[in-house]
Amino acid sequence: MIKITGLEKIYRTEEVETVALNKLSFEVKEGEFVAVMGPSGCGKSTLLNILGLLDDPDAGSFLFNGIEVAKFNERKRADLRKHNIGFVFQSFNLIDELTVFENVELPLIYTGVKTSERKKIVENVLDKMQIMHRRNHYPQQLSGGQQQRVAVARAVVNNPKLILADEPTGNLDSSNGNEVMQLLTDLNEQGTTIIMVTHSEHDARYSHRVIRMLDGQTVMENIMA
Amino acid sequence: MLRNDFKLAWRNLLKNRFFSLINILGLATGLACFILITLYVTDELSYDRYNEKASRIYRVNSDIIFGTTELKLAVSSDPMGATLKKDYPQVEEFARLYTSSGSKLIKKGNVFINEGNVGHADSTFFRVFTVPAISGNTNTALNEPNTVVVTKSAALKYFGTTDVIGKTIETNDNNGTLYKITAVVKDIPTNSHFHFDFIFSMDNVDYNFGNYLSHNFQTYLLLKEGTDPKEFDKKFIEFTDRYVLPQAKQFMQVNSMEEFRQAGNKLEYHLMPLTDIHLRSDRVAEISVNGNIQYVYIFSAVALFILLIACINFMNLSTARSANRAKEVGIRKVLGTERKTLIRQFLTESTTVALLSLLLAIGIALLALPYFNRISGKEMSWTLMTTTGFLLLLVILPVVIGLLAGIYPSFYLSAFKPIMVLKGKINAGAKRSTLRSVLVIFQFATSIILIVGTIIVYRQLNYIQNKKIGFNKEQVLLIEGTGALGNNNQAFRNEVMRIAGVKSVATGGFLPVSNSSRNDNTFSKEAVMDSKNGFNMQVWRIDENYIPLMGMEMAMGRNFSKEFKTDSSAVIINETTASILGYDNPVGKKIYTSDVNDPAQSIEYNIVGVVKNFNFESMKQQIGALCFRLGDAYWETAFKVDPANMKQLVSQVEKEWTKLAPSYPFSYKFLDESFNNMYRAEQRAGQVALSFSVLAIVIACLGLFGLASFMAEQRTKEIGVRKVLGASMNNIVSMLSRDFLRLVLVSAVFAIPLSWFIMHRWLENFAYRVNISWWVFLLAAILAVVIALLTISFQTVKAALTNPVDSLRSE
Ligand SMILES: Nc1ncnc2c1ncn2[C@@H]1O[C@H](COP(=O)(O)OP(=O)(O)OP(=O)(O)O)[C@@H](O)[C@H]1O
Ligand SMILES: [Mg+2]
Repeated sequence: MIKITGLEKIYRTEEVETVALNKLSFEVKEGEFVAVMGPSGCGKSTLLNILGLLDDPDAGSFLFNGIEVAKFNERKRADLRKHNIGFVFQSFNLIDELTVFENVELPLIYTGVKTSERKKIVENVLDKMQIMHRRNHYPQQLSGGQQQRVAVARAVVNNPKLILADEPTGNLDSSNGNEVMQLLTDLNEQGTTIIMVTHSEHDARYSHRVIRMLDGQTVMENIMA
Repeated sequence: MLRNDFKLAWRNLLKNRFFSLINILGLATGLACFILITLYVTDELSYDRYNEKASRIYRVNSDIIFGTTELKLAVSSDPMGATLKKDYPQVEEFARLYTSSGSKLIKKGNVFINEGNVGHADSTFFRVFTVPAISGNTNTALNEPNTVVVTKSAALKYFGTTDVIGKTIETNDNNGTLYKITAVVKDIPTNSHFHFDFIFSMDNVDYNFGNYLSHNFQTYLLLKEGTDPKEFDKKFIEFTDRYVLPQAKQFMQVNSMEEFRQAGNKLEYHLMPLTDIHLRSDRVAEISVNGNIQYVYIFSAVALFILLIACINFMNLSTARSANRAKEVGIRKVLGTERKTLIRQFLTESTTVALLSLLLAIGIALLALPYFNRISGKEMSWTLMTTTGFLLLLVILPVVIGLLAGIYPSFYLSAFKPIMVLKGKINAGAKRSTLRSVLVIFQFATSIILIVGTIIVYRQLNYIQNKKIGFNKEQVLLIEGTGALGNNNQAFRNEVMRIAGVKSVATGGFLPVSNSSRNDNTFSKEAVMDSKNGFNMQVWRIDENYIPLMGMEMAMGRNFSKEFKTDSSAVIINETTASILGYDNPVGKKIYTSDVNDPAQSIEYNIVGVVKNFNFESMKQQIGALCFRLGDAYWETAFKVDPANMKQLVSQVEKEWTKLAPSYPFSYKFLDESFNNMYRAEQRAGQVALSFSVLAIVIACLGLFGLASFMAEQRTKEIGVRKVLGASMNNIVSMLSRDFLRLVLVSAVFAIPLSWFIMHRWLENFAYRVNISWWVFLLAAILAVVIALLTISFQTVKAALTNPVDSLRSE
């Protein structure tokens, strides 16, 4: 599903030039659950942003479902993104002014789903994530675990083929963390490809495969039992 | 303590440079407008108050209806003043002015100069009005004929010195009357309703004195201390019965004023306070073009609103920013700062901003004063700003504004509960505030009202300029003072007609624009006049070329013609007169008037034609009764000309003039310019309204710009999230614009009825006016929306283009 070869990303500021990704190459098959690990600053988030079509690489090739997308312009990337990719962030990134229901509904609005259909789909997802009873609450009225479940609900509401998660349990205690990991595993079992950045060996154990990075390069890939 | 407050305030201003700049610029612009308009209003309200006895001086106004439309005159009859003084002890003094001649030619060396600021006055003039003498005795200066009082400027202009008592000046009256200068007075202040440079003796007025039925003199009464002018007003009924009625009986059948009134007529006199003349009087025969109290009200309101808009920006941006400062406040509170101290700190900050703005505003006002003078037709000097009252205002204003603008944000901020703030729970609320919405609505409602007002004022002016006025005002060149040509008049006309581009010539003494000569008289349908068949009518002397030259059309009958010897007793009436007479076809019928020399004797005229109605006064007035008689109003001459090469044509005409009247000034004007001059006050109001509307909108936009950038900044993270979730740039821009748009639309809902009401009132000043059509409101609303969108677009597009990766990383 994803094949990157020689991917490069360099950040230039006035004083320094940071090579965030240095000729990175790997492949992710459809239905895989991959964890990305590595020390802080090694380029994990940068990689995820490029995989999520939020950012473009400076060099290298990025095949998404067999299509070269490295040179896509903003509009084409946005289009591909909203239909195929869901995001889960460490800091949830829910919108404070919107209720749980409205937060989850947002991606559907941007893909142009009709109001009546949206209601059905959102309720279905909220149900699955067991936060239906909180549908009219605002994010600030929820615990961290609940907020992350809303975020996961929002990531999957469009039925994306790929979910990108950047330290999804980083802000959660272990029991809430485990709950979120279980949700991701369930989604993966239903066929969704997942790429997750994490610092926790514990969480990495939920995945099929771990990609270890150092200074913008993969140093090791190991298959989990 | 206070020093420390100011230091902190200053540091904060620098820290938020962008918002401080917006605040100060907006407030300074608002204050500058306020300063300028305050100067204007103070000046308008100060008219004639330089007179020490101003509160006791009144002018007698006359309201007359005789068979036709109402005449509202600033003048009254010549014996009125003296009679009132004789009969009523309340009258301490009276003074008359006679200005009907308008201007005089005064000889300097070998040439005559046309002087417009001239009048004849009673010697009591200087006892009523405060016009201090520099030399000579003004109490007796005008007691004798052939005397004149001149101002300092006039003396300097003609003699180069003010030491001119006993010298003489020569005028064009009665073959060069010589007037002896008996006093020199200080120049009359600009804020006066008259501006004479030369005041001649009343004895030199060539007039049939003693006539209560002709109204040609401005009459001023100085009432004794403690006289109630309202009570005194009632004495005019007695006066009319005792003096006016007996004279009227000489030429018409009327038994009582009651009978006269019952026939639908009116003859009333009322006192008008001197200090009301400039702003509340727009009558026939005013000495100067007056101001209008409506504009004083409107401009005062505009000044206040602009200031309010600017203050609102200030409040809005401060409360909006309070979200960012909440953390500072929270920490300070936790550290034990008292609420009182916080409030003081915030108020110091806002007052500092107000003070800085004021300094900038004074600079702007000084720079803009010449421009403002030009569009408002004033000659205000910056020294007006140095009066005590004004300086006091300048000191108090920033403090009041600082407090006003600072009080809400400071209480709002200082009331934050530290726990809430530190937990970050205040942010959500700070983004949407009802008060802020109300204030933005107020700003935009004001802007929309100003836009509507400006559009309608301009439409009315345009309407006046393009309305079918019944004559063609274009391409008519008027040569003034052609009376000076004497016997050479015909020769001059013949010579000018030879110039290429000159098409026709006519006598032009009477013109269909105000401030031209007027002559009215009473006429009747039957030979014996009574209160029912009599009516008042303009009588203009024209020649047979006048009607075609002016492009007037005949409704019935014919124009005057040289072929009809009997045309000396012929009249052409206008359609208003035709309808007063009520004949199916008035051509061939007669009208009558009394003989000046023997009022009991009547003279008859044959109606030979009816000219289609044309507007001969400003469009504030209905078209009254008018007739033409054959004659030569030689003091002005009209030429129909080809507009190509106008400059060259005029200089050729001037050449002919200098040949025939070398010592007289050559002076010309165009009929369309004179026509437009009638609406100068309205044109100025239009320009002032336009300028201030633009400013009000600019200030409101400045605030909106600040608010929009603040909102965008507040919502960066949200925008990032939405983009990650698939929002397009359009989605983001429309999301950010929607809230503002809604506010502007609500403003329109408030502004439309209000502006309709205000402009409806203004249009009532005009007898001929445009309809207020719905599209004006639509246009204003659309303009407001477009302007608001453009203002915020910079911020919204910028926000929408930001890469979400950047806005989300700052976690
Ligand atoms: N916009 C940017 N401009 C400049 N340098 C950047 C930018 N974004 C990231 N970097 C740099 O690129 C490198 C990789 O950053 P990245 O955020 O991908 O690391 P990370 O592996 O996600 O770290 P962490 O585990 O702490 O989240 C870092 O050295 C970072 O400082
Ligand atoms: Mg990271």
